[in-house]
Amino acid sequence: MLRHDSAPMSSAASRRPSPIAWLIAPALLLFVLFFILPFAVMAVMSFFSGNPISNPNAVLTTRHYQRFIEDSAGIFHDALWETLRIGLITTVVSLLIGYPLAHWMARMQSRLGHALALMAVIAPLLTGIVVRTFAWMTILQDKGVINTLLISWGVISKPLPLMYNEFGTIVALVHIYVPFMVLTLIGVIGRIDERLEQAARSLGAGRLRAFAEVTLPLSLPGILAGSLLVFALSISAYVTPSLMGGTDVLTLPMLIAQQLGTSFNPSFAGALGVILLAVCLVIVIAYNAILARLSGEQGLA
Amino acid sequence: MISRRRALQAGAGLAAAATFGAPAILHAETRTLKITTWGGKWGAIMKDTILPMFEKEHSCQVSADQAFPFLPKLQASPKNDPLYDVFHSNSNEQWSAVEQGLVMDKITVKEVPNVADVYPWAVSDKIVGVAIFTSAIGLGYRTDKGIAAPKSWKDLADPKLAGARGGYLIPVNSLGQCHLMMLGKVYGKGLQDLDAAYKALEQLKPIKLVDFTGQMEKMLLSGEVIEGVIHDSGVYRYEGANRQPVDFCSPSEGVMALEQVLNVTPGSKVKELAFAYIDFMLRPEVQKLLAEGVWYSPANKKVKLDAKYDAKLLTTPEKVATLIQPDWKWYNARKDDIDARVTKILKG
Repeated sequence: MLRHDSAPMSSAASRRPSPIAWLIAPALLLFVLFFILPFAVMAVMSFFSGNPISNPNAVLTTRHYQRFIEDSAGIFHDALWETLRIGLITTVVSLLIGYPLAHWMARMQSRLGHALALMAVIAPLLTGIVVRTFAWMTILQDKGVINTLLISWGVISKPLPLMYNEFGTIVALVHIYVPFMVLTLIGVIGRIDERLEQAARSLGAGRLRAFAEVTLPLSLPGILAGSLLVFALSISAYVTPSLMGGTDVLTLPMLIAQQLGTSFNPSFAGALGVILLAVCLVIVIAYNAILARLSGEQGLA
Repeated sequence: MISRRRALQAGAGLAAAATFGAPAILHAETRTLKITTWGGKWGAIMKDTILPMFEKEHSCQVSADQAFPFLPKLQASPKNDPLYDVFHSNSNEQWSAVEQGLVMDKITVKEVPNVADVYPWAVSDKIVGVAIFTSAIGLGYRTDKGIAAPKSWKDLADPKLAGARGGYLIPVNSLGQCHLMMLGKVYGKGLQDLDAAYKALEQLKPIKLVDFTGQMEKMLLSGEVIEGVIHDSGVYRYEGANRQPVDFCSPSEGVMALEQVLNVTPGSKVKELAFAYIDFMLRPEVQKLLAEGVWYSPANKKVKLDAKYDAKLLTTPEKVATLIQPDWKWYNARKDDIDARVTKILKG
């Protein structure tokens, strides 16, 4: 604004970045140092047969990508699909649980009630993912709280398959990532002017229609941001699928850890990492485009 | 004339130089040995007793890395200035490391005099470097769940144990890999009979799989697993005040070796010190301390353990003869294929 008002400024001065821009420097540096740079090294490594620094015989190759594409072992494509499926289901369930909660919290009149609800949402984030996953294991395993109770009451004779499968993995992931969804949605729903919904209702719309045609479309940016956050976090989850999934779950992050930590093949692990990011980016862009179209002129991007 | 301000400035400058310079000077005087080592009880004994003893004896400092995984970190460091001088791992990782030129082939009497006193298994052709301890991989089981004490590896296939038997995620755990080879021996022509092993593995479904031995201990203690593959020390440690209703069985077909191996990196700048450390770790008194601390069978023949340990650990040539050492070179060469195959077998 200021720049447009002061028209006679020289062109050099107008090109100079605002001093405030410097404040993003630490974040930018962090991003470059701890994401761009390691990722670039990983991507470069994925095109070498070995570590080019310590191994002079390492040559350029695309064989790691070929190995994934050909998938002669028949597990890589399944792992990719399973990773995406777990991410998708976790996101949808987190949204279904998180949206009503966020809506209720955003519309809450009592400040104390809001603070208490917010604390309840944030509290699980104060314990580590490993601890929370172990907690779920004590609840869902064959000798866990649920199965032991049901068996002792005579409701079932054999333990229900609550974990060591995709179901247990998704339950734990949803619990871990719902706070991210709720926190993102509260901000967006809180900013929607309640009077818009009231206006819709005074013009004859029912409660449901007012929500579906006014509140829901206006909260799309929150749904988009929350879903992308939860999706990205759950497709990259490692600890929870490995502890809860048993023999039934094999995701790409688990395969990457296997390649790096026990097959000692950082190049193939790098290729799997690049593939995971590429697939994730494609999905994020597509999702963004679809939601942007749905919300019409809202201008989500 | 020196003004007061000048004198203060000069003093501060000197103090600053001394502060920054001191560690460098100290560093120049004391050599540092970089090693990898385990955590838990082993790590506590190392940190409290063994490493201070070694540091005092050799006027050096030992920097011990306890954070897994070690081999990928060693892989990422330059060969002429490796991250570790002494690499401690299980045998399967040593074989991967030697193939990549990250560790030495063999540690002999020439470099480490105490190698003269070790059992043959500690320097056999199945070992890269030198083994300082071994555990026996067999079957751990609950004594309070009404099952008969197992005698054979085949007992794990008992239909009564469906869903309550325990194994490992074979791609990530060497006990799981040992178990697979053992299935080949028990149900087929030998450790390398993979077809027989795959078939036998299929029969073990449903089975609970974990990724590390600590997790298997937890599953046994909680009763989630009633019988599972585990190393003897993971069961024997629950004794005395810590007693739990679990016991260990050495199956009649033999136990698999889970060796603790030490090796030196070829690019180490303090090789002599590294060899001295391995020699120190093979000393009878050090071996006794660790063996009794964590229930590991010592490699040195001259170690005399207290009766209760001596009764259970592999401390005589006859007991040592039950130990089967897998050929990790053979296994590692086909690991990717095996990983894919067992993943498909166990999934779904």
